[in-house]
Amino acid sequence: MKIRRYLLLLAPLLLLCGRLNAGTPEAEKRLQSAVNEVLTAAESAPDVAALPAKLSPILLRHISFDAMTRRAVGPGWRQFTNAEKEKAVELFTTLIIRTYSEKITPGEYPVIKFKPASTPAPGRVEVPTILTYRGSTYEVTYRLEEAEGWRITDVMIEGVSLVANYRSQFDALFKKDGANGVLNALTKEKARNK
Amino acid sequence: MKAFPLLLATLLACPALLLTSCAGTRKPAAPAAAVGDGKSLASSDADDLDEYAASEISDPIEPVNRATFWVNHQLYRFVLKPISKTYEFVIPQPVRKGIFNAFDNIDFPVRLVNNTLQGNFHRAGQETGKFAVNTVLGVGGILRVSDKFPALANVPPASTSQTFQKWGIGHGPYIVLPLIGPSSARDTVGLAGDYVLNPVTWVAYFYGILAWTIPVSAAETLYVMPDKFRQYDAATKNSLDRYLAIRRSYVQYRKEANSK
Repeated sequence: MKIRRYLLLLAPLLLLCGRLNAGTPEAEKRLQSAVNEVLTAAESAPDVAALPAKLSPILLRHISFDAMTRRAVGPGWRQFTNAEKEKAVELFTTLIIRTYSEKITPGEYPVIKFKPASTPAPGRVEVPTILTYRGSTYEVTYRLEEAEGWRITDVMIEGVSLVANYRSQFDALFKKDGANGVLNALTKEKARNK
Repeated sequence: MKAFPLLLATLLACPALLLTSCAGTRKPAAPAAAVGDGKSLASSDADDLDEYAASEISDPIEPVNRATFWVNHQLYRFVLKPISKTYEFVIPQPVRKGIFNAFDNIDFPVRLVNNTLQGNFHRAGQETGKFAVNTVLGVGGILRVSDKFPALANVPPASTSQTFQKWGIGHGPYIVLPLIGPSSARDTVGLAGDYVLNPVTWVAYFYGILAWTIPVSAAETLYVMPDKFRQYDAATKNSLDRYLAIRRSYVQYRKEANSK
């Protein structure tokens, strides 16, 4: 009898533990569906040039480009006007979609193995994956955050974060020429590969 | 009244329980930078702007580094990349893999000594097992037979730079080395350590034919080039400032590789 009462007391605690990790499967599911959608879309693309257009609606749905741009710029973001913010998000989105599309070759697909996710902070999940492509394996970790559903906010390839890499570059540009420096460099980069 | 000790025990057990049953999935929360308090990702005034401030490296000789980096980049574009492409074109993938494996196998003392210096005797043992299995069954290390044994598969490689990091030695200033590329004060010493621990160096030294190390290191460079160049291209392709992109990538990559 006592034991049962004891267990009853424990029950809420266990439930609490369960709740703390409740978001994880949801985030993992979200990521898996994003990856599958991308691979399916890539399969139906006639050539490499068609990839960005094919992939962008999917990526826009699953990636929070707002959060990525804001963090890539850093504290200087507060000094951006609304119009500049909008422009920066737009340009950075194009750049990321292009970067991402270039990593995919139609007809050659990577094998992706999902590993157990971790929760470094509430509302944030990191899903490590092992990507095998052309005989090489890479560790790719996706970070997802919850805000109106789960969104990807960073991708780390072998520990190298996409957002952090741009952060260093934007920092230097911002210190030199402010918001305009950042926007000009992005505009120039966009024009370069077009 | 009898229930009281039980209740007390439960209350005492609470924190322990929370810690043990959740610890598996919850890492300690990131410092101040951690967000996710239900704030919308679209809000522009979120205090998450400095998320990525950390993991920069001091670069007091930036102008010199940039100059070296520029020279390296030209070398890469006009000399090394064509060589690497030719190598990839001429030598089929299975053979390249075999060459890579053989050199990697010979490098065993680097990993053994560093695992030992880090006090990681389990991994030192794994490395020894790997070396024995691959040398004997894998025909001098050409085949990585050890991957077939779960106990010997996926052993993270140890290096002198990793040992320094585990000992708590920081990067020191960033240095771009001619030909070799991004490094730091610590990792340059680390590279020298790896070089000394490499049996290829010993052979050359003991036979008094130091000139031998040149073709051998050239061959060693050749087998790592395709992979290194792919990483370089990926990091610089859509960058706004190639130098800064590589510097940040280097710091992050090292940190990740060294913390395994």
